[in-house]
Amino acid sequence: MKCSFCKHELTLDMVRDQGCGGCAGGCRKVHCPYCGQENPIPGRFLDRLLQREKK
Amino acid sequence: MAEQPEQQDKKIILVGNPNVGKSVVFNVLTGSYTTVSNYPGTSVEVSRGQCQIGSDRFLVLDTPGMYALLPITEEERVARRILLEESPQVVVHVIDARNLERMLPMTLQLIEAGLPVVLMVNIMDEAERLGMQIDIALLQEKLQIPVVGGALGRGRRGLWELRQAIQDYLPRQATFAYATDLEKDIQRVSSLMLGDYILGKRSLSLMLLQRDEEIVERVRVGEGENYAALEQVVNETIFARRVDLHLRINLERKRICNGLLTGVIVQQQGMQPAWTERLSTWTMNPWTGIPLLLVILYFGLYQFVGGFGAGTIVDILEGTVFEEYLNPWVIGLSERYIPWYWLKELIVGEYGLFTLGVRYAVAIILPIVGTFFVAFAVIEDSGYFPRLAMLVDRVFKKIGLNGRAVIPMVLGFGCDTMATVVTRTLESQRERIIATLLLALAIPCSAQMGVILGLLSGVPGALAVWMASMVGVFLLVGLLAAQVVPGVRPMFYMEIPPLRVPQLQNVLIKTLTRMQWYFMEVFPLFMIASVILWAGKLSGALAWLVQAFNPVMRLLGLPNEASTAFIFGFFRRDFGAAGLYDLQTEGLLDPVQLTVAAVTLTLFVPCVAQFLVMQKERGWKTSLQIFLLVTGLAFGVGWALNRLLLATGILA
Repeated sequence: MKCSFCKHELTLDMVRDQGCGGCAGGCRKVHCPYCGQENPIPGRFLDRLLQREKK
Repeated sequence: MAEQPEQQDKKIILVGNPNVGKSVVFNVLTGSYTTVSNYPGTSVEVSRGQCQIGSDRFLVLDTPGMYALLPITEEERVARRILLEESPQVVVHVIDARNLERMLPMTLQLIEAGLPVVLMVNIMDEAERLGMQIDIALLQEKLQIPVVGGALGRGRRGLWELRQAIQDYLPRQATFAYATDLEKDIQRVSSLMLGDYILGKRSLSLMLLQRDEEIVERVRVGEGENYAALEQVVNETIFARRVDLHLRINLERKRICNGLLTGVIVQQQGMQPAWTERLSTWTMNPWTGIPLLLVILYFGLYQFVGGFGAGTIVDILEGTVFEEYLNPWVIGLSERYIPWYWLKELIVGEYGLFTLGVRYAVAIILPIVGTFFVAFAVIEDSGYFPRLAMLVDRVFKKIGLNGRAVIPMVLGFGCDTMATVVTRTLESQRERIIATLLLALAIPCSAQMGVILGLLSGVPGALAVWMASMVGVFLLVGLLAAQVVPGVRPMFYMEIPPLRVPQLQNVLIKTLTRMQWYFMEVFPLFMIASVILWAGKLSGALAWLVQAFNPVMRLLGLPNEASTAFIFGFFRRDFGAAGLYDLQTEGLLDPVQLTVAAVTLTLFVPCVAQFLVMQKERGWKTSLQIFLLVTGLAFGVGWALNRLLLATGILA
C-alpha cells in the first residue's frame, strides 16, 4: 500500500512495526515512517470482502 | 546451472524506489535461477540470482525499495547495508522515466558515495505515451555514468544495452558541487577522515552531518583515536546549522538535479495531461490556492458533509427511521415487558442506551462522520494534502508551526484524539505543544463540525460568525503561543507526489475502513456515556452538575438546558454536538444563542479520550495547562461573542 499523504510505499512489516498500540482490538492504522500520516488498514471483515471481490 | 560459491562471482546490486520495475530487471537478468532469503539479522527479504554477461559471471542482488541513501525504514537500512558490505562490481539504479525529477537525487547520492553506478531509466514506454522525450545520451554526458533507457517489462527493451553497460563498466567519478557554504562544511569534515571506507568521504561527511547513527558507528570504528576531533567538528557544524541543515542539503540536491535535467526531458505539446501540472501549481500559489481551498471547503465540507450528511441523511435516519419507527417500537416493547422503572430508564429513558446512545451513534454521528470520511478520502487520494502543506507553510510559520503540521491538523478534523497522537511526528517539542493546544482548542472533529455546519447553515450569517471566530481564535492563540513557547523553528521540506484523479476503490476502502474503526471505537463509548448519565440522573448527581453549570450558561446568555450539551461534550466532542442538535430541534435556542453555543462548544475542553492522549504525549503539567487555558478561552470567547452579537444586533 502507499501512504495516502506522501505516496511513499508502505510494507506489511511497517504495519507491524509502526502501530502505536493505541487502538482497542488491535491496530487498524499504519503510521507512515516518512511523513507521519495515519493510514487505515482494512479490518479482517473488509479485507475478506475485498479478497473475495478480487477473486 | 551448477551452484558456485558466491565469493567467486562479481556482484551486481539493484537499487531503487519501490515500484520502478527493479524486480523485472532482476528477473530478466537472472532468469529463473533465483533464491529469496532474509537478510542476516533481519526479517527483510533479499532476492539473489546469477547471470552471465560476456565472459563474466555475476551474482545479482535485488535490494528492498529505498528512497534515499539516508535510511528511515528497516528495508532502507538493509538496502544500504548491502551497498556498504557487498563490494559490488556494478550498482544498477533503476528509476521510473515518468518521475526522473523525484528519483534522480538518489542517483546523485549513489555517485557521491563513489559507487559504480549504472543508471537504468525504466518504463520509458509509459513516459513516451505521456509525451515525454528523454535524451538518454545527454543525461549520460551530464552524469558521467552509463545511462540506459528501456522498458524491461514489455519486450525487454533496453536489456541488451544494460548488459553491455555492465560489461563495459569503467569507474569514473563525477563531482556535483553544492553551495559554497555547504561545500566548506563537507570539506572541513571529510578532510579530517583518515580511515578506509567503501563509501566516499564526501558522502559519509553528509551522512555524519545528518546524524546517521549507523554511519556514525562505522566512522567511529574506522577512525579510532582520530574520531574525537572529527566528532567535535561535526557537532560544531550541526549546531551552527541546526535550523536548516536537512533542508539545505535536500534543496541543493534538487537544484543540481534540475540543472542536470535541463534539456534532457522534452514534453511534446498536446500529449501531456498538462492540466494536472497546471492545477498542481495553482494549488500551491496563494493567489489561486486559497480560492481553490475555499471551493474545496465549500463543496467538500459545507455542501457534502454539512448539507447532505448532517442534513439529508440525518433527517432520514434520525427524524424518520428512529423517531417514527424504531424508538416507538423499542419504547413499546419496554413498556410491555419491563416492570422496573430504573431498567426502562436505562434502555429507553432520557439518557437511555437505545434512545440516546444508539440514536446518537447511528443516526446522528455515523452519517456525518461517514460523509466526512468520503470527502477526506477523495481529497487525500488526489494528492492535494501535500500541496495544502506547501500552501499554508508561510501562515503556519507565523504561529510557530510549518507545513508539516498540516497532517495532524487535517487529521484533527477527523478525530482530534488520533491527531494528538500524530503530533509526535513534528520535529520540535515547541511545535508539538503548539499543535496539541490548537487541536484541543480550535479544530472541531468531523462529527462536531458536521452537526454545527448542518445547524448553522439554516441561520443566515451564523456560519460566517462561527467560522470567523474559529479562524480568529486559531490564528490569535497560535501567534501568541509562537511568542511564548520557547524552542527552535525547524524548516519544512517535502517532495510533492503527482496530482491524480481519485480512484474509486481507494476511496471506498479508506472510507469503509475508517468508518468501521470509528464505529467500533465510538459505539462502546456512547454506551458508557449513556450509562454514566443515567446513573447521574437517578442519583441526582447530574441535576447537581447541571445546576453548577447554570450560572456559566447564564453568563453566555444560554438557557439552563444547554448545560447538558456541555456535560455531554466532555465525554466526547461528537456527543456534545449531538446534544446541541437535540436542543435546536426542541426549539430552545434563538440564532444568537445557537451561534454562541456552537462557538463555545467547539472551543470547549477536549473530550476525555483526547485529554488522556494529551497527558500521555505531553505529560500532566502541559496537558493540565492546556486544559485550563482551553476552558477559560472557550467561555471567555463565548461570553464576549454573546455581548458583541447582542450589542451589534448581528443575527438578531
